[in-house]
Amino acid sequence: MPAAKKLRTAKLDLSSERPTKKLRVYDTDDGRLWVDRYEPKTEEDLAVHKRKVEDVRRWLLEAFDGGPSAKLQKYRRILALTGPAGTAKTTTLRVLARELGFDILEWRNSMSDRGSSRGTREEFEALFDKFQAFLTRASTCQNVFSSNTSGPSSSQARTTQSSQSSAQTQTPSDSSKRHLILLEDLPNLLHLPTQARFHAALQSLCTPTASSVPTPPIVVIISDSGLRGEQNDDDNWEKGRQWGKKEVLDVRNVLGPEFNPIAPTLMTKALQALLATHFSSSSSHAKGKPPTRDILDIVVESSNGDIRSAVMALQFACIAALPSGSKSKSKSAGTKKQSQSKIKAEGGGNARAVLEAVTRREQSLVLFHLMGKVLYNKRKNDPPATHLSAKEAAKERDLDALLVDPPPLPDWLHLHERRASRVCIETLASDSPIDSSLLGLYIHQNYTQFCNDVDECDGVCDGLSWMDWVGGHLPAHTPYAFPVATLSTLHALPSPVARRGQKVCKPSWFEVRTAEMEAWNGVGDVGAWLGREEASGGLGVSASAGWSHTTIATELGGWLRAVASGSAAGTTVPQPPRSHRLFSHLPWSSGIKGGDVLGEDDEGGGEDGLRDEDEERDVRVLGGVKEEDLDDGAGWWAEADDIEEAE
Amino acid sequence: MSLWVDKFRPRTLDELHYHEGLSARLKSLAASGDFPHMLFYGPSGAGKKTRISCTLKQLFGNGVEKLKIDQRVFISPSKRKLEINIVQSNFHIEITPSEAGNYDRVVIQELLKEIAQTQQVDLNAKQRFKVVIINEADSLSRDAQAALRRTMEKYMSNMRIILCANSTSRLIAPIKSRCLLMRVAAPSPEEMQTVLEHVAKKLRFDLPPEASQQIVADSGGNMRKALLVFEALKMQSPDLSGSLKIAKPDWETYCHKVADLIVQEQTPARVMEVRSKFYELLSHCIPPTVILKTVAERVVERVDENLKADIMHWAAFYECRMRIGNKKIYHLEAWVVKVMSLYKVTKHFVYDFDMSEFE
Repeated sequence: MPAAKKLRTAKLDLSSERPTKKLRVYDTDDGRLWVDRYEPKTEEDLAVHKRKVEDVRRWLLEAFDGGPSAKLQKYRRILALTGPAGTAKTTTLRVLARELGFDILEWRNSMSDRGSSRGTREEFEALFDKFQAFLTRASTCQNVFSSNTSGPSSSQARTTQSSQSSAQTQTPSDSSKRHLILLEDLPNLLHLPTQARFHAALQSLCTPTASSVPTPPIVVIISDSGLRGEQNDDDNWEKGRQWGKKEVLDVRNVLGPEFNPIAPTLMTKALQALLATHFSSSSSHAKGKPPTRDILDIVVESSNGDIRSAVMALQFACIAALPSGSKSKSKSAGTKKQSQSKIKAEGGGNARAVLEAVTRREQSLVLFHLMGKVLYNKRKNDPPATHLSAKEAAKERDLDALLVDPPPLPDWLHLHERRASRVCIETLASDSPIDSSLLGLYIHQNYTQFCNDVDECDGVCDGLSWMDWVGGHLPAHTPYAFPVATLSTLHALPSPVARRGQKVCKPSWFEVRTAEMEAWNGVGDVGAWLGREEASGGLGVSASAGWSHTTIATELGGWLRAVASGSAAGTTVPQPPRSHRLFSHLPWSSGIKGGDVLGEDDEGGGEDGLRDEDEERDVRVLGGVKEEDLDDGAGWWAEADDIEEAE
Repeated sequence: MSLWVDKFRPRTLDELHYHEGLSARLKSLAASGDFPHMLFYGPSGAGKKTRISCTLKQLFGNGVEKLKIDQRVFISPSKRKLEINIVQSNFHIEITPSEAGNYDRVVIQELLKEIAQTQQVDLNAKQRFKVVIINEADSLSRDAQAALRRTMEKYMSNMRIILCANSTSRLIAPIKSRCLLMRVAAPSPEEMQTVLEHVAKKLRFDLPPEASQQIVADSGGNMRKALLVFEALKMQSPDLSGSLKIAKPDWETYCHKVADLIVQEQTPARVMEVRSKFYELLSHCIPPTVILKTVAERVVERVDENLKADIMHWAAFYECRMRIGNKKIYHLEAWVVKVMSLYKVTKHFVYDFDMSEFE
């Protein structure tokens, strides 16, 4: 990562020396990655949705000028750009910086400082001090950077030399006084004291100062880290998943657009433009041939909206094609079409091999399809589903041909006889977007819909129970949990699974968990109340003031209800805290609370599905299992709701 | 106002109503001057804590009743803050380390070390040692128990430990061997009635014998529960005559209804429904082991003789897994499904049998 950053800086310095934007001429193959070489310079080049860019631009303008009413300025102090990796958050900012003409002061944790630290704590604090110093300097001493008294390079040199900190400035492109602070490489926020200081530092920057010069706006860029299920420690679940977002956004005046994964259409366009530039601008060193449209499509598809990885994959695809495509060494944009058709004629085998090589690593599985693969339990020689196109059915037949039948089992084990599965556990495990414990929760939430009778349920649920039990013994990451969960589920589910328009739901476990925590707080309240009552009862404090929480939860319910009804009847009894209803009141209700239905774009885990609707989503088409016919979903669930109430 | 349970709790060993033999032994122990580590165990509501507090009073006099409640903050190895309530007097300290969950070892170690390393400074104190009471000792983790074992030996001169547990089975052998075991059995129905009458006399009203019998029968040997029910009943119908309806706690009726659901129908959809009920119970702080036990007992009442043993076997099996695992719902549900599939088989069997009779 630091290496990549360095690269980027180096390149930006270089490009700022060369202000020409559209007509870039790369005369040497400098060995840089395409990601850096063809970084967008204008808004047209950006593959980000126009509205997002517009949001950021408006925010920036408001931050600098205060918007139309000129009053918004003090509310535009911190902008948080969030979103998955590779959705052009930083690039958008840089492009806008170019367009609106402001400087970006970026904080970087310098590795050399941290590496040398032996007594970690003191050294680390010192690092944070540097961070703070950077912030103050950046917010107050603006004329040092923007007054063009000295050349850009020397000002930069002065900064670094005067304060061993790694604050680095972009060289100002013009003499405008505007700049903003970019925080991308945040200090270690998992360390609580550091986090507190970080907040304090940001707060102090946000609070309007008396001076007429406003502090520069701050932009924080947070990439969503991957999703993780809950491990042994419940706290980890909350913290580990999205600590960045929560911890940083805990400051007021923060708002910001969330970047979505880049839509395939936009990405394809951008990649095509990139290829065109690459193969036209530098005929002298652009070895290889431009990849075909097929390859491009696969690259786009497999990137899952991560444009950085898409560009990487594309570059790799071009390199890998090198040996075979020796005849078309130099090529101009004009002949591209012809060469493409030539390649196609040369044979799809080559292209496919390249594809395989490029995409295998990048192909990741959307949670929705992962659940589909597990829960539909497709096996060899399943009749093709009705909604499948002929092409897909043929693909399934091809797959079946590759599957080896398992050896026949002896008579006494015939119960366990299954046809060969079309699901490859190893692939699933390596591509899964969620970890085994979250997968367990998803399976648990949904498996009943896919079973025909309770015997099948038994197998699935016993497998989950086993997984949880074994996981309890072992440290957090057991390599067995994932295969056990999937295999036991596949083994137990009927084959083929009857299609009833099942809807995969998100696990309600997390909600229950929250409710439980609240109820335990209620128990705590009542416990404290009991202690107080006893003390005020004039008896002195009894030596056994400890009502254990479990006792309160299980045994005090009846009494609490009697108190409640007694007070309703007019007798004067001191009231226990209201929160007791959280655990003492348990009405019987029939029916099932359904969970949220899992959508194709959801990444799993709680509230992540609540992304705002965007046109981009409609355009996204993802490979893999087709969404099962959702329309006739009413039938099965209606039945479930009709179950007559007990008693 | 305080709960009757607290208000009429015996304060001295002489006031205790039942287990006279035990009281006498505790008295002589307290008088002997050589007081061992102790482990009180017995079913809940039998009077363990009451006996402990009486013993303390016997040991130290009235000073133990001057209590203060502190909240102490411990830092777990992962820098998490743990807040633990500590009840203490000049002579003793009472903790419930299981409140700290997985980090009970930290709490035990820190606290005991701190207490053990300070001598009793009060020259008027009757004993040279302090007493540490550890509640819910059977839910201590292995780690914490191991930590305890070492401390018990090391600081014997300054400190005595009194453990309070429901059963000794979950305590490691070294701890058991270092303690004097005191079994506090559940009171017999007659003894419970005496207690109830005693309370009624203190409050100056008459308790009809039918009512007290009913309360005792309902409480299942749990004195605390009996007194709570008694008080609730008195609040609802002040004269305690006529047909009394002892209200079960909501969760108990709920569990019974869940059991009925299981017996009525055995389909995946029903599994789903039962799960949502379990979720409800869990989110009302009912411990999963209690849920499993209550539901299982009810199911067993309603099935054929030949199934009972199996159902209980699986309940035990999944409870064992549940104690180790993290996600209790898996195990509860796995048990339900197991029972359903067992029950379904026998139901079909009976059905087939009947059909063949007719043919």
